[in-house]
Amino acid sequence: MRRLHARLALPALLILSLVVIALAVPFLGLPNPVRQDIPNRLTGMAPGAPLGRDEFGRDVFSRLLWGARTSLFVAFTATTIAALAGTLLGMLGGWFRGVAEFLSVRIADVILCFPPILLALLVVTIMGPGVATLILMLSVLYTPGFVRVAYGEVLSTRNQDFVTAMTALGATTPRILALTVLPNIASPLLVQYSLTLGAAIVVESGLSFLGLGVVPPTPSWGLMIRGARATMEQAPLLLLWPCLALTVTILAFNLLCDALRDAFDPKSAASVGTRPRPRLVDRFAPGLFPTRADSGAILSVRGLTVEIGTRRGVIRPVDDVSFTVGAGETLAIVGESGSGKSVTVTSLMGLLPAAARPVAGEAVFEGHDLLRRSPDQLRALRGARLAMIPQDPMSSLNPVHKVGDQVVEAILAHRSIARPAARAEALALFRRVGIADPERRLDAWPHEMSGGMRQRVMIAMAIANRPALLIADEPTTALDVTMQAQILDLLADLRRETGSALIFITHSLGVVAEIADTVMVMYAGQVVEQGPVASVFAAPFHPYTAALLAAVPQDDAAPEPIPGAVPPPHRFPQGCRFAPRCGHAQPPCGEAQPLRHFGNGREVRCARAGDLRLGRAAHDA
Amino acid sequence: MTPDAEPLLVAEHVSVSFSRKRLFGRGPAVRAVQDVSLRIGRGEAVGIVGESGSGKSTLGRLLLGLIKPASGEVRFDGSALQSLSRRDWRALRQRMQIVFQAPYGSLDPRRRIGSQIGDGLAIHRLAAPGQMPEAVRALLEQVGLDASHADRFPHEFSGGQRQRIGIARALASRPDFLVADEPVSSLDVSIQAQILDLLDRLRRELGLALVLISHDLAVVRHLCDRVVVMYLGRVMEEGPARSVLDAPRHPYTRALVSATPRIGAGGRPARILLPGEPPSPSAPPTGCVFRTRCSFAIAACGEAVPPLTQTNHDHGVACIRLADLP
Amino acid sequence: MAYLVGRIASSVVLAFAVATIVFLALHLVPGDPAELLLSTGGISPDPAAVAELRERLGLDRPLHVQYLGFLTGLLRGDLGRSLVDDYSVAAEIALRLPRTLELIAAGTIIALAVGVPAGTYAAVHAGGAFDRIMSGVMALLMAVPVFVLGTLLILLLAQTLKLMPAGGFVPFWRDPGQHLLLLSLPALVIGKGLVAIVFRMTRASVLDILPRDHVRTARAKGLAEGRVLRAHVVRNAFGPVLTVLGLHMGSLLGGTVLVEYVFNWPGLSTPLIRAVEGRDYPMVVGIVLTVSGLFLLINLVVDLLYAALDPRVRAG
Repeated sequence: MRRLHARLALPALLILSLVVIALAVPFLGLPNPVRQDIPNRLTGMAPGAPLGRDEFGRDVFSRLLWGARTSLFVAFTATTIAALAGTLLGMLGGWFRGVAEFLSVRIADVILCFPPILLALLVVTIMGPGVATLILMLSVLYTPGFVRVAYGEVLSTRNQDFVTAMTALGATTPRILALTVLPNIASPLLVQYSLTLGAAIVVESGLSFLGLGVVPPTPSWGLMIRGARATMEQAPLLLLWPCLALTVTILAFNLLCDALRDAFDPKSAASVGTRPRPRLVDRFAPGLFPTRADSGAILSVRGLTVEIGTRRGVIRPVDDVSFTVGAGETLAIVGESGSGKSVTVTSLMGLLPAAARPVAGEAVFEGHDLLRRSPDQLRALRGARLAMIPQDPMSSLNPVHKVGDQVVEAILAHRSIARPAARAEALALFRRVGIADPERRLDAWPHEMSGGMRQRVMIAMAIANRPALLIADEPTTALDVTMQAQILDLLADLRRETGSALIFITHSLGVVAEIADTVMVMYAGQVVEQGPVASVFAAPFHPYTAALLAAVPQDDAAPEPIPGAVPPPHRFPQGCRFAPRCGHAQPPCGEAQPLRHFGNGREVRCARAGDLRLGRAAHDA
Repeated sequence: MTPDAEPLLVAEHVSVSFSRKRLFGRGPAVRAVQDVSLRIGRGEAVGIVGESGSGKSTLGRLLLGLIKPASGEVRFDGSALQSLSRRDWRALRQRMQIVFQAPYGSLDPRRRIGSQIGDGLAIHRLAAPGQMPEAVRALLEQVGLDASHADRFPHEFSGGQRQRIGIARALASRPDFLVADEPVSSLDVSIQAQILDLLDRLRRELGLALVLISHDLAVVRHLCDRVVVMYLGRVMEEGPARSVLDAPRHPYTRALVSATPRIGAGGRPARILLPGEPPSPSAPPTGCVFRTRCSFAIAACGEAVPPLTQTNHDHGVACIRLADLP
Repeated sequence: MAYLVGRIASSVVLAFAVATIVFLALHLVPGDPAELLLSTGGISPDPAAVAELRERLGLDRPLHVQYLGFLTGLLRGDLGRSLVDDYSVAAEIALRLPRTLELIAAGTIIALAVGVPAGTYAAVHAGGAFDRIMSGVMALLMAVPVFVLGTLLILLLAQTLKLMPAGGFVPFWRDPGQHLLLLSLPALVIGKGLVAIVFRMTRASVLDILPRDHVRTARAKGLAEGRVLRAHVVRNAFGPVLTVLGLHMGSLLGGTVLVEYVFNWPGLSTPLIRAVEGRDYPMVVGIVLTVSGLFLLINLVVDLLYAALDPRVRAG
């Protein structure tokens, strides 16, 4: 935000001083800008004429300042008229639709079909040049822009839930428009206003330059450039001053417009902001420590820690996470939003955003540490030995390529076979994942498919090169239950058939129970409990696991809320991170807890893990 | 409620369809809700369940009068919504309110939450301007928020807190009928339980009639007295929540219940996988809309729309093969 | 197919509306049109001249007859005759339009050739030195009006350094080298605003697409970074860039009037400016209609190209 204020300040200050100059110019005691002094024409800088005199011997400095007055007067008057008229028409058109829409928006569309200067020239032909013509024609020219912006914003605002809520409350139309719609469309209108001011100055000066705008001898920058052009050889500087004044003024309006746009649009502001520089932490040289041989494990993660540089400092969304996945095994990672489950697997794939990086730990996959592989080595693994099924099948396919081509692309990225052969494989894959009418579907576009069907395409893509490990990041969250059942079924089938291991991220405990062998529960970046699903769910050792299980409504047990919310990463508590929300917290919980082994593959991060009886089993007893 | 008194809200054979405007004429009509009848008693909680495209959200807005039905009629406390004068319609708004899915656009990002909650009080003149801050504080406390937060903007709150604000806004005008459209589906599990708890408590305390629109069967079973199961704009099954969800009769409800993942392995019937995908709502099948994915479908299913047949205890099923089902 | 037909139909409707507005413009201004066209600086014109002009423009006929005559004339390609020298307006336009088109095409090609690669590079290395410098340069290019840049370039390159002629025109078939040399400066000046717009839009849309899920999918497939950029980022970013390009062709077409004037390029602007000065109404109307039609046509082509690039648009 502070950067934005700085970006706003400079152009705003410049424009403010221009406006002050334009208003004050008659009181500055400057020489008369239209008084000719032919004997002294084209003289250079002299006392009383700091910038010299023009081809008629008029004082250039005085004409420059008076020119600002002309330009700004024309631009502000015309833009204000256009803004008022356009906003009103656009709002009425957007809110009432029907005839109002036709009269405002459709006519605006037609006017927008004219290149601006040409429409202006048509008006000048009819009315003759002059300031009044300029203002009228610029107002007509720029009203449609405001109509369009106001209309578009009203259309998108009127369907927002908070506007529906006002309607549901029985609010009158003027009340809704004034209280809810106008404040929400004010920012884009303000941006349009500053944009239009700049554009109006461009058109005004351009027409004056052609001798068709402001009528001589009224001082105007466009006219000054026109005049100086004729005497360019004798007095090139005369050309420079008005050019500079004009360009700086337009630049100031444009910069103001950009800064306003960024200030109002959080999305673009984020892209403008500094890219966070992650702290450089020493990395161990690869191979310095021999990797621990974990027999049967296809992936073994030890002490994985990820840091992200943010404006609030460095955060650790993943802290000391360890787990193993055996060949053909399914591990479910559960946790609420902010638990770090997605960051964990994304770091394994080497797909973390630039600001995030793993700073400690190792992730040994088929004998090599993924965290220390070069980008090229990782690329060779991704999509081949290690594949991913994403959360949102709607956005994960590229909308401008046919789905079959996207699967073929995945095959060709790792194997040098002919394209027709790859296409034949894609067809077989489509058939395997249960896509009806696979020949035709290969040539379908993503938007022609339903969510469930697209997720099948994503699965086909993921298994195309027979990976040893599949990572599925909430693959059914975006789907309806009956579709979810189909996809879970397909995944279980594929796993039986290919023997690949599966990491399945989900927030649904029910899904965990359906699909996984082992479960790892994450809270605030840490593993709090892991072990075989049946044993963990039957008798959880960690109070968070127990609370999560009890929060799900099932049968006649009322859901029990967990008080509070997951803390954001920059406010993780010092000791046990769940302690502030835990009903069993005691003094030792104020200290950081290690992950302790409890036999039977179970690990728990809780000071009181030994002495608590938790879970539904405990309630029933 | 006496047996012959009219329920609080009655919908009779309501249908509505949407079509996209094109340059010339209109696109194909999407039949969002077709021939749905519903009665909701005072203080009763009714769940509407179904998957995307089932028309459950549209039905919710029809019940509130925010969408006008193309045919059929919605009556609230005896008066038909579509024939009300503008003034009476506004007055009625005080009594029927809506709660949206939490974080998305449900609150105006540019207004302080106190002022948004106060809208209902101001529009219906339920509090003098001087008493407004006090009334807003009371509402905030009622939904479990800190009364001193009235001056904050929506982005300063978490998803769960925003949902509490949305509920406070709906309660401000003291309604006796509330539609909650997927109120917890975008919240984390631990927060979901908080909001469900709050809704349940308020409903009992204020005697609200509640329509809960949700795709989560467990949530509906926990909170509602009755449930309506929708598929492709039509009602498939309707009845007491427990009897419908514990012993579903309609083949679609059975598949839906069986597909819902459960934590304990026991108790769930063997999973019924529905083949294929739901047909497009712009070209629903003739007769029973579910027949294209139903394993019990016979030729007769395509001939006429099956009527809702009462089995027992207020439990209706729209299936002509009810007697032959295993 | 339905999209194609619909899009073309809407262009025809718009063209019809544009013609109607141009026709009505003269009658919308209060006062007698003929008197209006002849008055300068508030001096009442000679009644005999007014009567003569009224007859020449057919203003004495009923409005609907004039309108029908105007439309049928348009359909036959008859734009009337100049009031000043009695030339056929259509013939004058036919002679000069190709030169204006050449300038526009050259400016657009420069804009795309520079703007798209530079914008992509700046987005991929957002926040880096190239990005910051280019963003500054582009802001300056946006701000400086075409006639200012043109005049200053002439002052610098022709007047001071004597590197090239100050302007003018030589037909291509007479001296190709000289023709291209004379074309280069006006084309650069014409393209400058568009370069800035294409650069910004490319940068913004690549920045928008880079974090999308489908790009992550492409990386997860193990594609090389170059292919990810080409097939999954720039390909997707090009649609919005094209649309913005089409919308800004309006200011480009307006800008050509000024650029041709500055560089003495004998396109449409010479007769246009002369006609505005001389209040030669049929000539102005003819040129305004031609250029507006061109603008509509460019946007039609842009939309069809967009549809070819993005299947979702075709589906409507």
